Amino acid sequence: MAPREAERDGAGGQDVLRRAGDASVLILTSLAGGAKHGYALIKDVKGFAGVELGPGTLYGALERLEQIGLIEALPAEDRRHPYRITPAGVTALRVHLDAIERVRVAGRLRLGLEGI
Amino acid sequence: MAGPGSERLVRNALRCYPERWRSRHGEEAAELAMLLMRDGTPARSIAWSYFKGAARTRLVQPRRRLRVAVGALVAAACSLGVSLALLTSSAPANAVTGPCSGVARGAGAASHGPIPDGHDYVAGDTARSSASISISVTTGKPANSSAMSGHDQRC
Repeated sequence: MAPREAERDGAGGQDVLRRAGDASVLILTSLAGGAKHGYALIKDVKGFAGVELGPGTLYGALERLEQIGLIEALPAEDRRHPYRITPAGVTALRVHLDAIERVRVAGRLRLGLEGI
Repeated sequence: MAGPGSERLVRNALRCYPERWRSRHGEEAAELAMLLMRDGTPARSIAWSYFKGAARTRLVQPRRRLRVAVGALVAAACSLGVSLALLTSSAPANAVTGPCSGVARGAGAASHGPIPDGHDYVAGDTARSSASISISVTTGKPANSSAMSGHDQRC
């Protein structure tokens, strides 16, 4: 998908991250707090989600997210490329988190954990 | 601390990536591996992660090329199918000269009205049924132009 398409879908409310995989969501969530390079991303994701991303998984997800225009690489610092979330990425993450939230609320209601 | 063996293992895993990927991420990925090993991540798990990533990268790119190839094959098959359909539509012309000529003549009588002469009808029907042969088999003359145009309209 071209960056422009991703932006349009995100703005239209379609959850483009639904099939993107957990790593993509974790990376976008991490980048929502500021631009980071690979090592900082792995450490941050481990800190807030307890998930240790493998470096191969990380680079695969970064490349995919960059291709669909949800993140962009910044100029290299030494040999490290920091990445930052794009406006389309912010929209896509927000739409995805809203969808997750609806599922979370429904699940908790049906388990009797909320609304009693 | 990462030993030379661990470093070699990671470098070998990174060599599995396509050249394009290595030129962009290779140095950074090697440095990231060193940092992770320094933090205590086993070299084997880092190398395995890179092996899997390389396999995925190599599998995703041919999938796109495969889609293009499949599209070309489908287009070729469609055009071949149209050609075959045209050929099979001319099959009744052969049937007329074969043992089922009576059936074909009867069908022709039903669709084209009364037959003044069975032989003449067969010649006309041959020309009418065959899209590619415009010379009548039985008379050796060019086929009736009105019959040919009728066939073209049906197609």
